[in-house]
Amino acid sequence: MELTSILQGIISLVLILGLSPLFVGLVNKQKAIFTGRIGASLLQPYYELMKLIKKETINATSSSFISAVTPMINFIAVVIAAAMLPISFAHPLISFEGDIILFAYMLGLARFFQVLAAMDIGSSFEGMGAAREATFAVFAEPIFFFTVGSIAFISGFTSIYDIYHSIRLDNLSFVVFIIVCSISVFILAVTECSRMPVDDPNTHLELTMIHEVMILDNSGIDLFLYQYSSYIKLFIYVILEASFFYPFAVQSYTLGIIIFLVVIFILSAALAAVETITSRFKMKNIPHYLLFATAIGILNLLIYTFTR
Amino acid sequence: MNSLKVQNGEVFNHNEIEFLNADKFHASVLNGLSNGYRMIGLFPVDKKNPNKIVSILSDSASSSLYIIGYENKGDKLEFESFANQFPQTNYFECELAENYGYKPLYHPWLRPVRKQNIILGSQPYKFFKLDGDEVHEVAVGPIHAGVIEPGHFRFQCHGELVYHLEINLGYQHRGIESLMLNANPNQRIILSESIAGDTVIGHTSTHCNAFESLTETQINLRAQVIRSIAEELERIAMHLTGLGGIANDIGFALPASAYGRLRTLVINSLASLCGSRFGRGLFVYGGVRFDFNDENIKQIKSNLEIVKKDIEAINDFLFSSTGALIRFENTGVVSKDFAGKIGLVGTAAKACGIELDSRINFPYGAYRYFPVSPITLSTGDVFARARLRALEIDESLRFIFEQLENIPSGITTEKVGELRINSGVISIVEGWRGEIIHSAFTDEEGKIIQYKIKDPSFNNWYGLSLALRNTAISDFPLCNKSFDLSYAGHDL
Repeated sequence: MELTSILQGIISLVLILGLSPLFVGLVNKQKAIFTGRIGASLLQPYYELMKLIKKETINATSSSFISAVTPMINFIAVVIAAAMLPISFAHPLISFEGDIILFAYMLGLARFFQVLAAMDIGSSFEGMGAAREATFAVFAEPIFFFTVGSIAFISGFTSIYDIYHSIRLDNLSFVVFIIVCSISVFILAVTECSRMPVDDPNTHLELTMIHEVMILDNSGIDLFLYQYSSYIKLFIYVILEASFFYPFAVQSYTLGIIIFLVVIFILSAALAAVETITSRFKMKNIPHYLLFATAIGILNLLIYTFTR
Repeated sequence: MNSLKVQNGEVFNHNEIEFLNADKFHASVLNGLSNGYRMIGLFPVDKKNPNKIVSILSDSASSSLYIIGYENKGDKLEFESFANQFPQTNYFECELAENYGYKPLYHPWLRPVRKQNIILGSQPYKFFKLDGDEVHEVAVGPIHAGVIEPGHFRFQCHGELVYHLEINLGYQHRGIESLMLNANPNQRIILSESIAGDTVIGHTSTHCNAFESLTETQINLRAQVIRSIAEELERIAMHLTGLGGIANDIGFALPASAYGRLRTLVINSLASLCGSRFGRGLFVYGGVRFDFNDENIKQIKSNLEIVKKDIEAINDFLFSSTGALIRFENTGVVSKDFAGKIGLVGTAAKACGIELDSRINFPYGAYRYFPVSPITLSTGDVFARARLRALEIDESLRFIFEQLENIPSGITTEKVGELRINSGVISIVEGWRGEIIHSAFTDEEGKIIQYKIKDPSFNNWYGLSLALRNTAISDFPLCNKSFDLSYAGHDL
């Protein structure tokens, strides 16, 4: 690999790690404005992370080493996934044939350990949260493979970087795919990152939580790692969506970057709007919602088969 | 039925109560309950002498209260339980057993009400437990993830479905009923303001009504109207909080913050009258401490105009949203039959189709001259309880606007005399949550010997347990908020 592409990869990763809390701050700020409040500062997520670092880490006496190592495994897995993402034209740090599978299962590994750690603590509602997370993961996984996977299938590449670089706007079927895919990636982002209408990140009601309930017994550095990796995870999905607009960067790097930023802003506004004007689903209706996103992915493949 | 018939707030001589023997007492109470009367109290006349107890039954159709006395002549404190036939008496019997050491014979399910170790001794209370490989138990509280009052909830679940919920309370027990006996008049008002922080006006109004009856004080109509306006303001404010909370629990941010904004206007209106947003310090024996003037009437009117205008739009938005309706409808259903059997009161009962509103059934204060309309819904689910709040807000706004137009003139405080000796009074007020009852008794020196408080939460917590049966456990917070019960009011 050339030095410049390694440099691009490092800069991309640093940007993802550095800016992901800002994105959460942006969503929360807009949500506050939509509901008629002033809202917390854009930098609030940074302050919260800093507060958590300073706090003491306490583990439940009933927990084993799983609880101790999980926050770190979770964080590292998410960072590795982030290192595979191309920011617009930039070459990612980790990129090889078939990395799309590694990407999906790095996030899967993070979730697996988190579910394990939640059950390890032995609290009744953390177990309940783990059961919910595992159930919904079953429905969320096909969404990724049917959407990003279908583009891989169409483009013939299996590396995220190559897939995005094969996108051409002059190919009409690609344009259709991207519009359709962005809907299901959005649903996937909402599910995986525990946002409305699947999960409510702001709730204090332990019986309705999915993701939040699993980290209820964590504190200090452990909680910092969980929170930070959930911020990064949300940003990963946002970039996944924003990188669809790569073709503009082919014409000019500046245009590519501007469009990239505009798309991220639009996505933050969309998230905030969805969280303001929708109510949460009944728990038993969530699988229907996820299957809907999977159906979109299947539709994608059908369109491809019939328009070829 | 050998009983003493009285009205809401009517002072009576408690020597007139006929104290029956065990068999006659049992027959009389059963007779009353089979007539469809509700039990609203079961306690000794004198806190220090547990041998003489009274059972108070209320008949809302004829606005009458029946007091049936019982004198325990045996060595052991015991009486035959009514709970097997009439589940509504269950909790009253448990309370009597816990506070005075009574043993209700044949009682199906004696459980602690507030103090864990009185009924059961040193034995820990055994929660009902489901057996099986696929069932699991979820214990929540008394310390919760959010900053709310303490209460312990024990769910028996199969997956996400709740089969049974038991609620254990008492963590906020402060002994208000005992404190009332020795407190001076000023302290008594402050104590009643602190029974439940969200029902300051409801409880203080009940307390003042009781003591004004005991001192035979007639309060001026102007003060009565000010009291009802304050009561309705509290009702609007708390119903707005409830609606905001319900919207928040389904993650519906827009209505949640809109209701919160309107609530501020309402509690600020209360502050412009008496300086406290929760109405503390407004009530004194014999009337109210603060009076309306042109300035605060104008302020309250303009605030409420905004509320009236905006709430229409927000209600439309919330109650026409498909997402919200899916969450509300058929969630946490209590049937009218069950609601009657367990003696639900207030908004929870009205949402099941039971017409029970003390302002109408046991009119007091200004409501005797300026009535409010009864509102009931029939489905008994979260939707009904939420919608009922919206409708009650409209009715309260109408009442306040009507009263503000022509407040009767007169003085706001009357002089209060001494407490009547050997007397008792039962005072009922419809707080925003439902029927609040304070009963007070005096001895031959005019000293208070018994002060009994019943917050609507005392009846309704059991309703929440029933509402949760066959409901998803993730809907618990929503059901809980739709009942919106008080921990402090229950624990006293």
